[in-house]
Amino acid sequence: MSDQTLPPDGPDDDEDRVLAAEYALGLLTDKERALFEAQLETDAGLRAEVVAWDEHFATVIMDEVEEVAPSPQVTKRLQAILFKREKQSFWQHIWPYGLGGLAAALVLWLAINTGIITPDEQALRSDLVAELAPTADGEGLVIRANVDTERGAVQVVLSAGTPPEGRVFELWLIAGDSAPVSLGLLDESESTIIDLPPDVLAVLPGALLAISDEPPGGSPTGAPTGAVRAAGSLSSS
Amino acid sequence: MTPQEEVENLIARVAMGDRAAFNRMYERTSAKLFGVCLRVLNDRVEAEEVLQDVFVTVWNKADSYKVNGYSPMTWLITITRNRAVDRRRAMKLPPVPIETADLMPDSKPGPEASAVAASEARQITACLDELPRARAHLVRRAYLEGDSYADLAQATGINLNTIRTWLRRSLMALRECLSR
Repeated sequence: MSDQTLPPDGPDDDEDRVLAAEYALGLLTDKERALFEAQLETDAGLRAEVVAWDEHFATVIMDEVEEVAPSPQVTKRLQAILFKREKQSFWQHIWPYGLGGLAAALVLWLAINTGIITPDEQALRSDLVAELAPTADGEGLVIRANVDTERGAVQVVLSAGTPPEGRVFELWLIAGDSAPVSLGLLDESESTIIDLPPDVLAVLPGALLAISDEPPGGSPTGAPTGAVRAAGSLSSS
Repeated sequence: MTPQEEVENLIARVAMGDRAAFNRMYERTSAKLFGVCLRVLNDRVEAEEVLQDVFVTVWNKADSYKVNGYSPMTWLITITRNRAVDRRRAMKLPPVPIETADLMPDSKPGPEASAVAASEARQITACLDELPRARAHLVRRAYLEGDSYADLAQATGINLNTIRTWLRRSLMALRECLSR
């Protein structure tokens, strides 16, 4: 915030000076703005004029706008959106150790399928749901996701369709403008329950869930590498 | 280090992906930037969404800060203000009515201006004070609340072309005063 004056060698034309101020204030129509921006590209004096107006107006904000503390949720959501991906790479780092988990899952699968254990799906009380509509690459897929925020888990129900031969389905979360975050792989069974960490739970309402097909073990890069087969946004049930 | 230099330094570190610097910058600037969002949107939930969006942009675009010639707080404030105004326009929020009293010709500075003048005489504030109070009020509405010409016409009940003429004259007078 400088107290700099507008550049003395700024545009000579009063019209351009006023346009620069109107541009800084966002008062131009779409057409006027497009014309002005084209002019900005080639006119350094005009760019300096806009910067100088922004500096002056920002001074007014510094002096006249009260500080108000945002709720702590904002910083929590930011941490989840911006710094989640790197946490994923940590898990990719240690994925070979997950083979033990895979063995355990196989035992569980056998136990369920032989009737020793019945999965307690009733315990999942969904408060957010998403119907994942098939994309052009996902014809015939019928997928629904139910999130139980309190329990911190999502159940993905694949009632029709299968991944292509030799591929697996991976579930992705896309919150706002941020890059997709992997939530995990779908089992071969009809229903998969995936536990969700608190920072993911915080950004779920309104977020998009998507399914891509990936090589066995999941995307090797941490970002979707196969075709997106289905997607839908989460809303309150 | 001045607060200005501190924020500048933090932006430079954020550009290199320094998370601690990002968190520190959030602590230092979020209350002011949230105040900006609230002033434009007048709704905490919307304002918090815009604030979140702004900090995502700052994290991703901090490396472009140096080239555009802004001082650090102006860069942050301008991104925030413009993002909040975009949201306000997308939501088609009706403007807050402007009291007739605010439009009465009056050479004395308004209450806002005199409070600031007492604390710190800034060039822009001094120049706004030189405008008739009603005209200065319209400029502040356009900047602080993000009112468009149509909003100002609706808020005052004055014809849009008249509003535009007034505001453009005020901006020209401001420009003249600022370059003195």
